[in-house]
Amino acid sequence: MARIQLNNIQKRWGAIWGVRDVNLDIADEEFVVFLGPSGCGKTTTMRMIAGLEEPSEGEIVMDSEVMNEIDARDRDVAMVFQGYALYPNMTIYENIRFPLRMRGVPKEQHDTLIKRAAGLVELTDYLDRKPSALSGGQRQRAALARAIVRQPHVFLMDEPLSNLDAKLRQHMRVQIKHIQRELKITTVYVTHDQIEAMTLADRIVIMDKGAIQQIGTPDEIYNDPANTFVANFIGAPPMNLIAGVMEQGTFTAPGVRVDGLPAKHDGKVTLGVRPEDCTVTADGGHLSGSVYGVEPTGDMTYLTIKVGDKLIEVKAHRDYRADLNSDASVGFDPKRIYIFDTASGQRLR
Amino acid sequence: MASARKRSRGESLALRYAILGAWALFCLVPVLWFLSIGLRPRIEIITPQPIYFPTFSLDAWHMIWEDWPMGKYLRNSVLAIIGSVIIDLILAIPAAYSLSRFEYKGRDDIGFYILSTRMMAPAIVAVPIFFLFRNFGLLDTIWALMLIYAAINLSFVTWIIRSYMLDIPKELEDAAKTDGAGELRILWEIIIPAILPGIITASVIAMIFAINEFLFTLLIASTPDAYTMSVALANFTGGSDGVIYNAIALVAFLAFLPVFLVVVLIQKHLSRGLTMGAVKG
Ligand SMILES: Nc1ncnc2c1ncn2[C@@H]1O[C@H](COP(=O)(O)OP(=O)(O)OP(=O)(O)O)[C@@H](O)[C@H]1O
Ligand SMILES: [Mg+2]
Repeated sequence: MARIQLNNIQKRWGAIWGVRDVNLDIADEEFVVFLGPSGCGKTTTMRMIAGLEEPSEGEIVMDSEVMNEIDARDRDVAMVFQGYALYPNMTIYENIRFPLRMRGVPKEQHDTLIKRAAGLVELTDYLDRKPSALSGGQRQRAALARAIVRQPHVFLMDEPLSNLDAKLRQHMRVQIKHIQRELKITTVYVTHDQIEAMTLADRIVIMDKGAIQQIGTPDEIYNDPANTFVANFIGAPPMNLIAGVMEQGTFTAPGVRVDGLPAKHDGKVTLGVRPEDCTVTADGGHLSGSVYGVEPTGDMTYLTIKVGDKLIEVKAHRDYRADLNSDASVGFDPKRIYIFDTASGQRLR
Repeated sequence: MASARKRSRGESLALRYAILGAWALFCLVPVLWFLSIGLRPRIEIITPQPIYFPTFSLDAWHMIWEDWPMGKYLRNSVLAIIGSVIIDLILAIPAAYSLSRFEYKGRDDIGFYILSTRMMAPAIVAVPIFFLFRNFGLLDTIWALMLIYAAINLSFVTWIIRSYMLDIPKELEDAAKTDGAGELRILWEIIIPAILPGIITASVIAMIFAINEFLFTLLIASTPDAYTMSVALANFTGGSDGVIYNAIALVAFLAFLPVFLVVVLIQKHLSRGLTMGAVKG
């Protein structure tokens, strides 16, 4: 129920930069996921949206109202904190009830709302316990329940599922997406988990060192990375990046030779190719080296090839096996080759 | 192997109890000694020969209640002390909240200044305080005692509560804010319950200081209207009767008892309170 615009947002504490120049336009009802390495400014950005931190520069606009001066409690957001922030002296029931009391939700609705929220996160049996008597995952779900118990303008969720086991995490993911769609609430979500990002997001925001590296749908982020950071950050295992030289459409690096690339990119470039866009060939492929590791996982085999002093990851057929140090040759899908400027890391198109 | 370990476990347990028992004895003997002095006839106390089978006597007991208005002194003590602790908490909690939560210039200096008031020798301010209270017409009243005890204890009560507040994660308040709570409500519903052990600890220590306070009480109280237990004790040391040891011992014991009972009652909170500041989580 809110559009959120971040215009040239910066945040610094003295000489320490939290966030440098963030521009982001989050549409009403959109689900945006922040993804980035630890310390890149995800929490800081979120706290500025919540009003818990004042930007050093720039404007935060919600539904065309500038929010910079508006107090956190008047912004009508619900937030799941990275450290849960449950009230230690209150039971889980009272914790979940707290926002209802503060926001003046009629008393007779409380019980129903609390039970429903607790049910969604499967905590119904723990309502009369204090937070200290819960496990880490249960506390995290209690924090989630406290956020979803009412209908705010905006959901802000800072790694709300980080402490759950795989099964519960998958289940909660579905619940969160469902609630968000049903209530049509603009949501900003922070995670380190790529699968979570890919499955939940309308758009993903990739951040690094306080700056946005790319904004796009999960498809765009995966298939059309803007720079080597994004290319290397997304995907498991991530994209292979090979630094070399391009001359008249031919890319060469030790052990690597690729013809027929656009000639306009001549110079020092980095070639990127995802492990799943590599195929093991008899010989005469684009890359040749020696087998460094073979890891069968059941549905596929991870093959690591040593080329010069670089390790290249390949997703091979599940029947693929090879001896260590035997010769291996790999071909790239020519339509799936990415070229980056080595110096700046930016994608060359 | 297993039995050897078991035995040494049992031995170390026995040793532990022996040490604790010895310590308890060490602490308790003076108290019991005092009580026994208080409950014996005066003659028996001042004889130089050791007495192996003391006689029990309520002389001192009757004396302090009947010849002296001990009930009034006790009441004065209790009122002045409780009042002072209440004043301290009303002032110290918001002050500590400000010192631990808001960022402003000179905050840490103010914090240190508050603590440094405690470092002054009391005698230095005794005379000005006497005139101050006289001008306000507060001499010889419980109100003056309340104020003076509160003033003496305020700095460290603030300091203790502040250190507890520093231990509360800031995220907790942030959560309350996003949930829609105002500052006062956050203080009342989130902070105070979370630091209750600290508040209790500070209050008990303030009570102990107040009950032992002598100099200012003597200065302000000139009639039994404002005498407290600690000053009443002094009454048994002079005059034509000489030093009345058994009465002194009994009054000292009575002064000690309330604090002791309070500490025993809230022991759980107190021990948690004294260590909570040290360990996070
Ligand atoms: N109050 C603060 N004072 C000084 N620096 C801060 C403060 N809060 C955050 N920072 C710094 O700002 C940067 C961004 O922090 P932030 O918490 O936003 O990271 P994050 O992306 O959420 O990381 P994580 O994934 O580990 O949670 C970090 O380098 C951090 O050290
Ligand atoms: Mg964070």
